[in-house]
Amino acid sequence: MQRVGFRLRSSLAFRVILSTVLLSLSVVWLTGSALNNQLSKGVKQVNLDSAIIEARSTIFNAQYRLALAQGEAEPIIRSVISDVITSATSLGTAENTRLIAFIKTPGQEVSKYDYEVKSEFLEVNSIPENLKVQVRKSSEIKWTYSNFAYPGNSSTPIIILGDKVKVPNAGQYEMYLFISLANQEATLELIRSSLLLTGFALLLLIGLITWLVVRQVVRPVREAARIATEFTSGDFHQRMDVHSRDEISTLGNAFNEMAESLQKQIARLENLSRVQQRFVSDVSHELRTPLTTLRMASEIIHSARESFDPNVSRSAELLVAQLDRFERLLEDLLEVSRFDAEVAVLEGVDFDIVTLAKRCIEDLALVASENSTSMVLSVSNESIMLNADIRRVERILRNLLTNAIDHADGKPIEVTIAHTEHDVAVGVRDYGIGIEPHLLSRVFDRFWRADPSRARVRGGTGLGLSIALEDARLHNGELEAWGRPRYGAHFVLTLPRREGSSIEARLITLKPTT
Amino acid sequence: MTLVMVVDDDQDLAEMLSIVLNGAGIDVDLVGRGDEVLELFRNNPPDLVLLDVMLPGIDGIEVCKLIRAESMVPIIMLTAKGDTHDVVLGLEAGADDYMVKPFRHPSELIARIRTRLRRTNSDIAGLLAISDLSIDVQAHHVLRGNKVISLTRLEFDLLVALAKEPGRVFTRDALLSEVWGYRHSTDTRLVNVHVQRLRSKIEHDPENPEIVVTVRGVGYKAGALVHS
Repeated sequence: MQRVGFRLRSSLAFRVILSTVLLSLSVVWLTGSALNNQLSKGVKQVNLDSAIIEARSTIFNAQYRLALAQGEAEPIIRSVISDVITSATSLGTAENTRLIAFIKTPGQEVSKYDYEVKSEFLEVNSIPENLKVQVRKSSEIKWTYSNFAYPGNSSTPIIILGDKVKVPNAGQYEMYLFISLANQEATLELIRSSLLLTGFALLLLIGLITWLVVRQVVRPVREAARIATEFTSGDFHQRMDVHSRDEISTLGNAFNEMAESLQKQIARLENLSRVQQRFVSDVSHELRTPLTTLRMASEIIHSARESFDPNVSRSAELLVAQLDRFERLLEDLLEVSRFDAEVAVLEGVDFDIVTLAKRCIEDLALVASENSTSMVLSVSNESIMLNADIRRVERILRNLLTNAIDHADGKPIEVTIAHTEHDVAVGVRDYGIGIEPHLLSRVFDRFWRADPSRARVRGGTGLGLSIALEDARLHNGELEAWGRPRYGAHFVLTLPRREGSSIEARLITLKPTT
Repeated sequence: MTLVMVVDDDQDLAEMLSIVLNGAGIDVDLVGRGDEVLELFRNNPPDLVLLDVMLPGIDGIEVCKLIRAESMVPIIMLTAKGDTHDVVLGLEAGADDYMVKPFRHPSELIARIRTRLRRTNSDIAGLLAISDLSIDVQAHHVLRGNKVISLTRLEFDLLVALAKEPGRVFTRDALLSEVWGYRHSTDTRLVNVHVQRLRSKIEHDPENPEIVVTVRGVGYKAGALVHS
């Protein structure tokens, strides 16, 4: 039932076919029953007429022969009655056998002779009383429908007809004919079953025709839906076949025009994105060559700074430092543009994240001590292998550590690594200046500063956390932040250990319990 | 004196490079176009080529293939893009190493050049054997039977590194520090591409290597000895 309900809602063809068949069913039902009524009425009338004619001739024959036997002796009369009844009952066979009852009308003076006769297995009480009453009152043949159980048969519909017959010297008698209607019932049954069969066949045909017709309409609609789906999944070359000039073809043409225009728009956007990406790549190339020259020149000047006067010497140091910063900014901008153009790709390798984290901490230890802080690592296992882009994971770790060093306010930084069979998580917790909860969502924004008046200790680019977030997402991982003013901040990176799978659980609680 | 050919179309950078290299006691030949490289290369063979990827005339990848076709000289590509695609193309074309512009320090460039030029393993006397190959480290020869297989210096170093310690499994990082002289590098593409190149020269069937064997999830090791 649920399936039908689902099909009803989901398939136009099914709905149309079902409603057509249901409507046709009621029409076929109405016409069928009318036809059935009409036909059975006719059949019954014909049978009744022939029964009356037969009864009339039989009873008239009896009346006539008995009238002729007026004044004859009792045995002659008895033989006449017997003869009449035998000739009448010998018509037809088996179920069609006529049964006859010849009974004396009650309420007369008792006669010397009793001529009452009836066919075998016929009981007098088989004749309905009201028929007897009618027969006695009337001078014509009277009849009624009834049922009668022939031997070896269940109850069979019959017609009983009767009239009065005068028997010489014996008063008034009544003669009743029992005529079986088994044949009539068989005919009616045949008519009914033929009508049912025809109706059923008609419904089937109507269903089939509807299906064929609906298919003509639904097929293009389905085709359009299929093509729209292909479109959604990125195949913009699909078009509908248009053969005719009807409404369906109008749909097809409109659809194709829409597809064409969509494809053009998408191509235009793709081209724009390609041009943009190309431009960024060209700019980077054009910038990098002079930057290389600049760097080498500045290094040579820097290495000779001892021989300059203090101002020039300091300038050389600033030059080198700012070139460093400029280069980092250029790298970060390029990376961001790669993310924006969605051309960043993962190069997965198997590596041990504990070793990587230790190396990052070692590399940044000097910077940390310059900021009078330190980093403490606690791990759930001495070696945790994962398959990921090691360059990106290293960059995330470095960005998180650098960020923590910048904001640690001289308090130690805790680095935690936890793992399960499926995921690995790295938490970086500092107890420094912290951040307002309502600003947390903005820490991953590009170039965003919690406190604009605060200088970047490390001369960071302002893109680090934003890139870290993109790197995490590229791995189907998550990077989340928690913070409270004066209580510090907590960043948790969760990555699936297999490239391409998704993370199952958060292994490190983001919000500290203490 | 060592001679390095610098191929770069940016005149300022080329001049800067020669200042830095001269400062380190290295002679420099400057070439500005890709299609001028081969002639000068033949007339005055350098000890090493510093090759920019983007060049007028013929691009750097093509130049690299042309040089490799006639010489085993060490080649270091200079690329402005860190993109995998360019790097892998350069390495597959036969470059031994690459540097992404801008380099951190001039000293880094000098160090790379020196690594590629140094005579490695000069302490090993006699023949090393690996699979059905024998390696004469002093003569810089690899022999299969009597047949000499010609390898670049880098490929030779890679093979010697593996053959020196036949039982040891080398991680890619270990090979990077052993052969390329890198500390803390995470760039395994260098190793992968050169192992492929080396295999294509020495293996009977590079698809089913028996000499440089991959140890899944770890790295590479030398294949078992075959006595013929």
